[in-house]
Amino acid sequence: MTATDTPGSPDHPATGLDEVVHQRVRLGILAITHEARRVEFGYLRTHLDLTAGNLSKHLSVLETAGLVDIEKGYEGKRARTWITLTTAGKAALAEEIGHLKTLIARVETTTADG
Amino acid sequence: MTTGSMFAEDDPRRLLSDVRAVAGRVRRDQRLTYVALLVLAAVTFVAIPFDWLFMRVHCDGSGCAFARRGMLYYWPPTLLLAYAAIAVSYVRAARARGLGARVLPYAITGAATAVVFTAAYAAAAAYFPAHPPFGGGPIPFWWIVLDRLIAPWGLIGLALLVLARLERNVALLLFTLGYLVLVLLVLPTTDGMHLPDWAVPSFLSGTDIQLRWSMTPSQLIIGVVLLAAGIAFAKARRSQR
Repeated sequence: MTATDTPGSPDHPATGLDEVVHQRVRLGILAITHEARRVEFGYLRTHLDLTAGNLSKHLSVLETAGLVDIEKGYEGKRARTWITLTTAGKAALAEEIGHLKTLIARVETTTADG
Repeated sequence: MTTGSMFAEDDPRRLLSDVRAVAGRVRRDQRLTYVALLVLAAVTFVAIPFDWLFMRVHCDGSGCAFARRGMLYYWPPTLLLAYAAIAVSYVRAARARGLGARVLPYAITGAATAVVFTAAYAAAAAYFPAHPPFGGGPIPFWWIVLDRLIAPWGLIGLALLVLARLERNVALLLFTLGYLVLVLLVLPTTDGMHLPDWAVPSFLSGTDIQLRWSMTPSQLIIGVVLLAAGIAFAKARRSQR
């Protein structure tokens, strides 16, 4: 392992990981929202198997970071909360996926080198 | 799918594969492929009587000339309505599931094909009677394929390619490639089919009637293919749930 392969060194891909995005649930929220263009709170809760309170906390973190927009409204008498990805959110997701791919490539190279 | 099984925080390979899995799940939930195919099958069947009734046929000693005016009256507004209906269906279904829809580029492509068909048909009707292509001589096969491509059934296939790309739907892509082979290379969609005597009902006598009848089998086959595909995609969707 070289100096740049050490986690914590400036060139290591893990160093560039954004802690807001590099979290399993929040990454799931971003991935689903990116693919769906627009997603309802209930869909996220069901497909990520979260409680409403837990999902709200994660959404709040993402909204504070400017990665998602949250829009509340009504359809008939039913309250609905829609989540969309911001431009910064799209960029953050793309960056995270890029980092993950780099990390995987590093691991595979290191494994191949023995 | 649970978060425990879905995202393993420290394994980048698993994180990435889980991101792809949830994205694929969303795409599958957004699909309504069978509705698009069933709507297109329906409009293809309804086109047959229009084509028959509004075809202009003129026969003299040297042969028969025909103009399929029904296509011009029927297809442009119908394509626009069909793509609008498909888009509305997609948006409503996705919304009911709590998702956005990704159908708009397909609907825009479909509407654009209606414009392309109208412009091409009008230009051909205005220009070719006085200037027959290739001096009235033999027409090369590439010209025939191009003619079939800008006919409604070819344009339906082009728009389906866009839908397959949007949905990242490999099954739809494979179906559409087969469909395009059928409508561009196999079926004489724009010339009429030379039918054996036994295939022409006895009550359809006369050159005029037989010429109209010769246009029907291709459209029937295309309608049946789209209908069968629509049913197959609907069954596949039901079995996935």
